Amino acid sequence: MLENRQIFSLQQVVSSIRKTIEERYQSSYWVKAEMHKLNLYPSGHAFPELVQKENDKIVAQINASIWNHNFQRINKQFIQVVKEPLKEGTTLLLNVKVVFHETFGLSLQILDIDPNYALGELQREREETLKKLQAERLINANQLLDFPLLPKRIAIVSADTSKGLSDFMKVLNNNPWNYQFFTMLFQAYLQGDVAAPSIIEQLKRIEKVKHHFDVVVIVRGGGGEVGLSCYNNYELCKAIASFSLPVLTGIGHSTNMTVAELVAFRNAITPTELADFLLQTFHDFSVPVNDARKVIRTSSSRLLETNKQLFSAETKHFKNSANNYLLDAKNTLLVTSQKFKNEAKTLLTRNREHLHFAQKECLNYSNRLFKVNREKLAEHGVQLPLKFANRLVKEQQQVSEMENMVRLMDPKNVLKRGYSITTINGQTLQKNNSVEIGDTIKTVTFDFELTSTIIKKEEHGE
Amino acid sequence: MANEITYTVAFEELQQIVRDMEDGEITVDELAIKVKRAAELIKVCKNKLTSTEEDVNLILKELEA
Repeated sequence: MLENRQIFSLQQVVSSIRKTIEERYQSSYWVKAEMHKLNLYPSGHAFPELVQKENDKIVAQINASIWNHNFQRINKQFIQVVKEPLKEGTTLLLNVKVVFHETFGLSLQILDIDPNYALGELQREREETLKKLQAERLINANQLLDFPLLPKRIAIVSADTSKGLSDFMKVLNNNPWNYQFFTMLFQAYLQGDVAAPSIIEQLKRIEKVKHHFDVVVIVRGGGGEVGLSCYNNYELCKAIASFSLPVLTGIGHSTNMTVAELVAFRNAITPTELADFLLQTFHDFSVPVNDARKVIRTSSSRLLETNKQLFSAETKHFKNSANNYLLDAKNTLLVTSQKFKNEAKTLLTRNREHLHFAQKECLNYSNRLFKVNREKLAEHGVQLPLKFANRLVKEQQQVSEMENMVRLMDPKNVLKRGYSITTINGQTLQKNNSVEIGDTIKTVTFDFELTSTIIKKEEHGE
Repeated sequence: MANEITYTVAFEELQQIVRDMEDGEITVDELAIKVKRAAELIKVCKNKLTSTEEDVNLILKELEA
């Protein structure tokens, strides 16, 4: 049995396999596969691992190779069309030839990669990110934030070697208006596969100290327009859209706007333009402040001038009114006084007439009275002597009768007839005027006056 | 944040005074007071444009916390 065995050398077998495979796979094929690893060697050759995944499980895997000259050509094409270098983890459309090498084994030799297919894949990723953000209502989330009046405090996500950062800072720091910004750099990778997680991490750090900042800016530039598809990364775009401060982007490229730029609060084409925008917000604040000074100055003087004019007009008006009033009053006074004068004159005349009439009346009446009385008097004057004479005779008779009576009654006449009057202390003697023995009494007769002392007293009985 | 409110408030108050003046809502009696206030507000706003108050060291400390 052992003698019957045909023994091949390894080379024979491997050569046979190679021959078989070469015969079987003579032409090249277009294959859709994910480039799991690129494995680029310093020699310029690359030995990618190609896989096919289903539900994240690898269902097919094979090694591939790209020779230096092919790799250079393919990469150039990619950068031109896709704006991305060949990178791992993307699904590609590959033109391959099945090769078998005696020492390296079976592999796919990559002759070409269709950049348009890759572009479509990137486009698809972009669309997908957009669709997801839309579904989560995050597309406008950042844009709906209130923009600060003065975005003074800026958290910058960039790399200190970035030309974009230095452009941005130059514009901010050399502004001729001396506007001051506070900036702090949060270092991140800005392109390629590493960019998305790196930027997300820095956004997380900024979130922690966000009360120190007004806005976040992501600036990049000067590194060529490749490797920017990371800005379509769903996780990164979500982080930007849902960030609690306005995120401004200045990524600097001329291709289609990335989703990150689309969801940012504001996007500027370049970092310089972004810095100019920030300066403009300062202007927007500063100009009204400067204008306020002007407006207040002109409004104040206008207000004062208007009031001065109003006052002056009012004064003039008052003066005229006062003058008119005085003039009116003067006229009224004049008219009134004239009227009064006339009235008084009329009244005076009328009263004078009344008086004159009364005087006349009075005179007439008194004259009449005079006349009547004079006549009465004259009449009386005639009668009076007659009455008076009769009366006189009567009176004379009465007087002489009384004279006789008086004469008859005169004590002298009594005394003549022999009577006397005795008095004591000038009083006639009567009952109540008794005399005592020893009293001196006076006795008057017609011819004598006798003084006696009582020596005896006898009372008459009744 | 307190500073931001101050300049926002200062700016808005200033704008209000300017509007009132333009609309003739201010009387001669108030004029002197309003002009003085406006001058203060302008000064506050101007200072805000040309000064910063944040401290990097403080932020770094907070980041490490």
